[in-house]
Amino acid sequence: MKYLFAAFFISISLLMHSQEFPDINLNNLDGNSISVKALADSSDIKIFSFWATWCVPCINELDAIADVYEDWQDETNVELIAVSTDDARTKKRVIPLVNGKGWEYQILLDENQDLKRALNINVLPYVVVVKNGEIIHTRTGYTPGSEEELYEVVKEHSK
Amino acid sequence: MKKLLMLLTFCFTVNQMSAQLLDNLRVGLESNMAWYNDDKRTGPFFDGENNDGDEHVRVNSYLKLDYDFLESFTATVQIESYEPLALLNYSPNFEGTDFGIYSLNYRSDKLEASAGHYYEQFGSGLILRNWEDRQLGLNNALLGGRVKYMPTNFLSLTGLYGKQRVGFETADSDIFGFNTEIDISNIFKFESSSLNLGISYVGRQEKTDIEDPNFDELTNAFSGRIDFSKGNFYANAEYVTKSDDVFVINGQVINSFVNPGNALLFNTGFSKKGFGLDATFRRLENMGFFSEREKTGNVFLENNINFTPALTKQHDYLLTNIFVYQAQSQVVFADPQLMEAGEIGGQIDVFYNIKKGTALGGKYGTKLAFNASYWAGLKGDYDFDNLTYDVDYFGFGEKYFSDVSLEIRKKWNKKMNSIFYYVNQYYNQRTIEDNFSGEQIKTNIIVGETFYKFGRIGQSVRLELQKLWSNTENHDWVGGTIEYNASPRLSFYVNDIYNSGTDSSTSENHYYNFGGSFNKGSTRFSLNYGRQRAGLVCVGGVCRFVPEATGLSASLLMSF
Repeated sequence: MKYLFAAFFISISLLMHSQEFPDINLNNLDGNSISVKALADSSDIKIFSFWATWCVPCINELDAIADVYEDWQDETNVELIAVSTDDARTKKRVIPLVNGKGWEYQILLDENQDLKRALNINVLPYVVVVKNGEIIHTRTGYTPGSEEELYEVVKEHSK
Repeated sequence: MKKLLMLLTFCFTVNQMSAQLLDNLRVGLESNMAWYNDDKRTGPFFDGENNDGDEHVRVNSYLKLDYDFLESFTATVQIESYEPLALLNYSPNFEGTDFGIYSLNYRSDKLEASAGHYYEQFGSGLILRNWEDRQLGLNNALLGGRVKYMPTNFLSLTGLYGKQRVGFETADSDIFGFNTEIDISNIFKFESSSLNLGISYVGRQEKTDIEDPNFDELTNAFSGRIDFSKGNFYANAEYVTKSDDVFVINGQVINSFVNPGNALLFNTGFSKKGFGLDATFRRLENMGFFSEREKTGNVFLENNINFTPALTKQHDYLLTNIFVYQAQSQVVFADPQLMEAGEIGGQIDVFYNIKKGTALGGKYGTKLAFNASYWAGLKGDYDFDNLTYDVDYFGFGEKYFSDVSLEIRKKWNKKMNSIFYYVNQYYNQRTIEDNFSGEQIKTNIIVGETFYKFGRIGQSVRLELQKLWSNTENHDWVGGTIEYNASPRLSFYVNDIYNSGTDSSTSENHYYNFGGSFNKGSTRFSLNYGRQRAGLVCVGGVCRFVPEATGLSASLLMSF
């Protein structure tokens, strides 16, 4: 059985490709339904950052980007969409946290993790960079300074 | 075996198809492995659940494929493998290799339909929530059908039927659900405020062998919700009522003890840039709701229809996660001194950003987060001999838990950040764990964390120091973590926690762990060696008990 899984794994590696963004609607903080596919279908680069209020590295990353976000936007027109995966336990903390921190990001709520599941995201933080509806870069986890590498990707594709 | 081969063939066939077709396929692979050791200090490895100490290597693997086709359709399959056995403390129902999830979904602007497995949540989940958490060994999807219809921009209707997934099987009951969401502000074109209503029904139909049951085979739950927001202010309320449900103790239905249940949740907040305030109140009475009555309170979190998480701050550090509150949603009549019918309490959160350029804010500002929570039992009269209780609606009874925490985040300069964290907790072990000899534990915990960037992009070190003081001689913990990030891709860490108290199960043991991880794109591989403290592992608001174990573990995640 182990070998089968290995064979499986190899066959799947052969299938690696750039994938399209799934078609799912999520609510924003005003309770309006937003199509993530419509957001992703843009010639400007969009960064979808999956986070949760209880995830320290997620907050470290969003705090770090918040410090330089204005410069990023001026130079590349990039937009960061912070997708909260908080469920009923912690969802209520999202609005006060976002405002308390003064984040300027568009926030979407993936309360029952439909988008997270559709993208097969298992651990947070998770960043997906999208252009014209196609995923051009993904990254799992955050260590201090990784945002600089993320920005290199954004700059490279925004030309 | 056959199924796997078929799928393998399918994969190769797909591989031969054009790139256009492949664009529509999403694949996720997760594999978690453990090689458990005998441990000189904590004893030889033994798996009490499977009664097995021979199988030291355990692997849980998940392969999920989503395929979009004909513009509106998605097909999903998830294959799961637990061979030779599942990781420690997973339900014995997770055994072997099989299809865990399969579904076919249709989606258009006004209509969504699913056949097969699906995950649904009504409101906050107090009445219904189906979800997956692999770390907790939890997957309670419904297998059946669901239709969502959105005839206008202010109305959404959902109807569903299914049997709940338990291991690779389903529960022996039928679940019916109906949900309506109405956006009032859209109907009346409110410009500056928003008002939404929600109404739900969930029914559980389960046959019973009990003669002359004092309860119906169909249990009905109804919920109503209202959400309001205007400018910086918001408020919402949810009320759930559950029809007569029978008490279950150790898998035995107690026909003479039948009660209805209810839940009230109220939340309000105010926020503007640099400041956020949120307050929550909740009362639960007899709100355990399971797809098989006999499974009430099972440790594997199986058969849960609804979601009643602990509404306390979810802490992130090793020592702040030793005494974790669990919501007391169901009736417990364990002993004349240990009786519960639910819980009542609340929490408050405050976030504040001290502005840049002020004395306390410094060059980068200082971020503060404060949380406090208080939970108690329902006050009232409990009669152990006659199996009755009569509780006050807003009465606070015995204190179960309290938690006060303050977090300060400070960026010193471009290279260095610090987090300071203080927590004070009260933990009523007797009632939270239904443990007769449990203690009333009071703790003070301090955590300091600093990271420092140096060298090339992504190179940094992180240092974390923790100390827990308690009022009992049994718990006096200290801990620390050092992490070195060589680049955004490669990271190593060492941590240890140590209890110098006299608690028989953890005293003078080092719970050390070291390991590393490698990330590239959406692939992550991590390797770990160490000793796991027995206790609660909490993810996303649900906690499970994990046993003490020592060993090597590895994890592989991929998605493309």
